[in-house]
Amino acid sequence: MTTGIQRSSSSTRRSPRKKKKNQIPFAIGLLIVIILIGIWLATKENHQALYWMLGLAFGFILQRSRFCFTASMRDPYLTRSTSVTKSVLIAFAITTIGFAAIKYGYFIQELAIPGQSYIAPISIATAVGAFMFGIGMVIAGGCASGTLMRIGEGFWMQVLALFFFVVGSLWGAHDYGWWMRNFMLAGKRVFLPDYLGWFGGVLCNLLIIAVIYVIAHKYGNKKSESELH
Amino acid sequence: MKAFFDKIKQNEFYKMWFKDALPYITGAILLSVFQIVTFATTKNPWGVSGVFANWGAWLYQLIGGSVDNWYYFSSPGAQATLEAGIINHGSTWRNIGIIFGALFATLAASGFKIKKLKSYKQVIAASLGGLLMGYGARIAFGCNIGALFSGISSMSLSGWVFGAFMFIGAIVGSKLLVKYFM
Amino acid sequence: MSKEVVLDCFGEACPVPLVKAEKALEKLEINDILIVQIDHSCAMKNVPEWARKQGHNVEIEEIDDGEWEVIIEKVK
Repeated sequence: MTTGIQRSSSSTRRSPRKKKKNQIPFAIGLLIVIILIGIWLATKENHQALYWMLGLAFGFILQRSRFCFTASMRDPYLTRSTSVTKSVLIAFAITTIGFAAIKYGYFIQELAIPGQSYIAPISIATAVGAFMFGIGMVIAGGCASGTLMRIGEGFWMQVLALFFFVVGSLWGAHDYGWWMRNFMLAGKRVFLPDYLGWFGGVLCNLLIIAVIYVIAHKYGNKKSESELH
Repeated sequence: MKAFFDKIKQNEFYKMWFKDALPYITGAILLSVFQIVTFATTKNPWGVSGVFANWGAWLYQLIGGSVDNWYYFSSPGAQATLEAGIINHGSTWRNIGIIFGALFATLAASGFKIKKLKSYKQVIAASLGGLLMGYGARIAFGCNIGALFSGISSMSLSGWVFGAFMFIGAIVGSKLLVKYFM
Repeated sequence: MSKEVVLDCFGEACPVPLVKAEKALEKLEINDILIVQIDHSCAMKNVPEWARKQGHNVEIEEIDDGEWEVIIEKVK
């Protein structure tokens, strides 16, 4: 507090401040519960303790860095801030390299490449679904991972959003057959290395990321500069 | 005891690791590391919203519904997952792990607070937003983790298409939010 | 005499606090002070970041567990 903004006394001491509680003991208690659940899951089949640990890591990282995929899509329009967008792009670039390495490892050993179900067919359904998702995450104040993270932070609004997310998912699953018959079946699954080779595929992905990064960087700086003059 | 915990609060490593927000870039790198760990160990990239369809099916079964002849759940794999139940569903534990991981991070930073619903606008925004996300994610093969982050990182063109249309959706959503839900 | 405005954003998730703060600050005169009350950790990152980027003086005060006040002095 070196700049020392002078506040009038009326706003600083409207009410006598409650004494802050230290929540670290609760964190330690929760950690014990987390470990106990982990030990219990480790006794079960299907590597559930592994999934548990991965989820904990994702939740911890998302909260600690205030990472938000929703903000990366929303802030460029709403506030012209692109710092989250750029970070998301960096994550895409690093993960592309890691995933490509793993996939390529399977490929040169002539094994089936894992995770290819994530190469989804492109159709009207992709466009409509993504558009709906984009609207939904902004008005609900968080995407899927963001909603879970915010429940952990204590937001009741996100508990409600999660409930309707589940209802919406069931609705979507119900109509899935219709979308499949009419659109998805005709959609093409495009795995870039199939068209450009492994090196070309990685390069193409990284180039797209780089181009968007440059656009985001220039666009993000514009407003603050123009307002300075 | 209390003095001890108050002393922890002043510790520089405590502040660095548990209190002060990490830069976005650090978050990006750490998420990437765990995405790669996820793919290397489970043979599938990270996904979040597919689980919610299963939760929906289990809830529906709980109130007496049946999804047996729905195309979405018709594959033997999907049937086996539903049969095994929520307790034995790894991806369910991963999603609950996200909640617990975030809760732990918040408590460790001494920043937890229950935030009640503030207005009827929040109720409508959360309900409508949740429905749109749920339905959208199902027909687009995932949310911005499964379809976007994992899709793009798997070098799938579908990830880029998803991203482009989600961006347009986010703009429309922002306009709606500012106009009706604030 | 400069004005001081308190903006209650408790219970609001992103991006509501930032948009509200943006609107509120627009209405203020130079040297006025805007106090944004926030209990959302993400907004605690983007509201100060935005205000600093705009060139205003910014201070943060943790008033309770999970509750903060972002004090913004409008300088231009």
